[in-house]
Amino acid sequence: MRVNPNPLPDLIAALGQTQQQINTDLNQISSGTSVAVPSDDPASAAELVQNAAQTSSADQFLRSIGSIQGEVSNADSTLNSVITALQQAITLGVEGANGTLNDADRAAIATEVQGIQSQLVSLANLSYQGTYVFAGTANQTAPYVLNGSAVTYVGNAGTNSVTLGNHFTLQTNLPGSQLFSASGSDMFQSIQDLITSLQSGTGIAAAVGEVDTASSYIDSQRTFYGNAENQLNTQQTYLNSDTTQLAQQQNTLGAANLPAVITDLTSEETSRQATLEAVAATTQNNLFSYLKG
Amino acid sequence: MSSLNASLAIAVSGLSAEQGALEATTNNVANVNTPGYSREVPNLVSSDPIVVDPLTLGTGVTLQNIESIRDPILESQIQQETQTENQFSTLASALQQTQTNFTTSSSDIGTEISNFFDSINQLSTSPADLSVRQGVLTAASNLATSFNSTANNLTQQQSSLDLSVVQTVGQINQLSQQIAGLNGQISNLENVGQSAGSFIDQRQLAIDQLSSLVNVSVIPSDNSLTLTTANGTPLVMGQQSFQLTTQLNAAGLHDVYSQQGADITSELTSGQLGGTLQARDRQIPSIQTELNTLATGLASAVNGVQTAGYDLHGNLGTDLFNAPTAAASAANLSVAITDPSLIAASSDGTQGSNGNAEAMYNLSTEAVINNQSPTAYYSGIVFNVGNATANAAAEQSASSLTLQQLNDQRASVSGVSLDEEAANMVQYQNAYAASAQVVTAINDMMYTTINMSTLTT
Repeated sequence: MRVNPNPLPDLIAALGQTQQQINTDLNQISSGTSVAVPSDDPASAAELVQNAAQTSSADQFLRSIGSIQGEVSNADSTLNSVITALQQAITLGVEGANGTLNDADRAAIATEVQGIQSQLVSLANLSYQGTYVFAGTANQTAPYVLNGSAVTYVGNAGTNSVTLGNHFTLQTNLPGSQLFSASGSDMFQSIQDLITSLQSGTGIAAAVGEVDTASSYIDSQRTFYGNAENQLNTQQTYLNSDTTQLAQQQNTLGAANLPAVITDLTSEETSRQATLEAVAATTQNNLFSYLKG
Repeated sequence: MSSLNASLAIAVSGLSAEQGALEATTNNVANVNTPGYSREVPNLVSSDPIVVDPLTLGTGVTLQNIESIRDPILESQIQQETQTENQFSTLASALQQTQTNFTTSSSDIGTEISNFFDSINQLSTSPADLSVRQGVLTAASNLATSFNSTANNLTQQQSSLDLSVVQTVGQINQLSQQIAGLNGQISNLENVGQSAGSFIDQRQLAIDQLSSLVNVSVIPSDNSLTLTTANGTPLVMGQQSFQLTTQLNAAGLHDVYSQQGADITSELTSGQLGGTLQARDRQIPSIQTELNTLATGLASAVNGVQTAGYDLHGNLGTDLFNAPTAAASAANLSVAITDPSLIAASSDGTQGSNGNAEAMYNLSTEAVINNQSPTAYYSGIVFNVGNATANAAAEQSASSLTLQQLNDQRASVSGVSLDEEAANMVQYQNAYAASAQVVTAINDMMYTTINMSTLTT
């Protein structure tokens, strides 16, 4: 049987193929990825797109948590100060209820409570990075206004919730209407009542009771921020581990398997060497060479 | 009765036949690297004997013809495989260019979609913050730019493929003319009983080149041949060639017409032209359609939420994205507002509300585009592009292996082997030397005969 007398084109094609494989291997080694273009592995490329999106949103959730954490912990410690101030008011009220005091003494105490009142107003008007934390969603203006002796709420009852994970949304604020001005335990009303009673000398004990009710109510509402802080911390921990997992997945999907690639590269180089030698050998001789002499 | 003269004639026939045979070998050796050349074999036959009762005497050797050795069935298989190989290599290289637009980078559509929704999540934490709002506008504008540049790249690629269609048609016409011309020369030679081997080789080479451009069918006829595209549009009939033409269609791309004026674009399925048309008319448009679906779907979903909420001034929101016509939405997507305060983050009209920003962020996971989230739909596009490219490349490499095998087979039939030619050369040389020796011997004998008569005088 007659055979192909010129194997060179085949050998050249083989050289081309090994060279291409060597280039692919070198690319993988230098870039560290096995999916440099979608056609390298279409399914993995598509999954890597989703993986990148998930990683990006996990990073964003972590940034958002960072933004919210400050506000929440500020709110929490502010409520702590509010309760301390209310306790102070209660102590003053109990002192004022003492029958041995005269009008002037009580007036002095009332003035002291007025000081606490304005302190409470400023606490309730807590502003964090330009927004008033206890104003509901009308948070671009101070929610509590001291008008003479009365304090009025000009915020609203709106709440904001922020998505901080897949299927995890957290309410980030309690409006003043729910916190300080709830009916039945209206903090500013109770303080105002205390001031009035101290000034008039009647109903001081009842007013102290009101302040006490308001104080325990606020203390109970404070758990909202405590919970929020806990949830933020938990979610932060979860997202950090999620990010690690996503990075691992990305690695599995798209990272070059270096030992395998390097082994392949070595074998391709050997194969290339062998092909080159074959080319050199086939081109050396034919019958004409022997007829020369 | 035999004669010395008859023997001399036989010896001379040997000399000239071997000389002729050596010419075939020489020609083979000279053309050892000529593309498309088929080796020639001298056909030596013994000349018609003469009967001189009671003997039948040979009259030497005749070089009947010099035949080019080729296998027509193999050649036609090679043509078909060449068409397939070129179709897929053209398609693969076009798609490889296309897919770079969908490679994950810092500014591909997938990344910009993520960045856009991330910026909205940030807005959700501080809905009244103007710098955060500006961040959303920037991200939206980057997203639009990414759509624009991807769509423009695809359109540009389509135009350059279109240019290549026109050029390829020109090449096809040139080759058709060349083949028609060669048909003429071949039939002229063959009509007078001569071998047209080297013209046939040239024609075969031209047909191979034509096969790499377009799907052709070869219909051989006496001394000539007819070439048509797969659906029967004639390219060459005998000595006449038919020119293909191109005309602009409504989309601004060139369609291919037969000389008879029929639009044959959709029938050109293989060869380089077939691959180019497939990329230009099918693969790229299908990616463009998907991109437009994504752009339109995303823009209208975002606009839908945006117009349901309130901006920083307490007014109902207006469109965030300019919603262009569906046919070119990716290329023309743009951000409609420049004032960051106009982003409708609020759901109750107050500046501090983030309800609408949350609703907008939720679009990132909602099935807003063909029952898929924006990112999932985009990853589908990436898969489709990657898959089409990988398939074309796989088809091409399979086809090129087949083609290589077929070419090996052709070479084993038609290729020039230097070993063989050297052996033949030795053989012809020896035979020539032998015949020459015979002539010398006859010469001696004649001398003897002549001297016989002189001896008697």
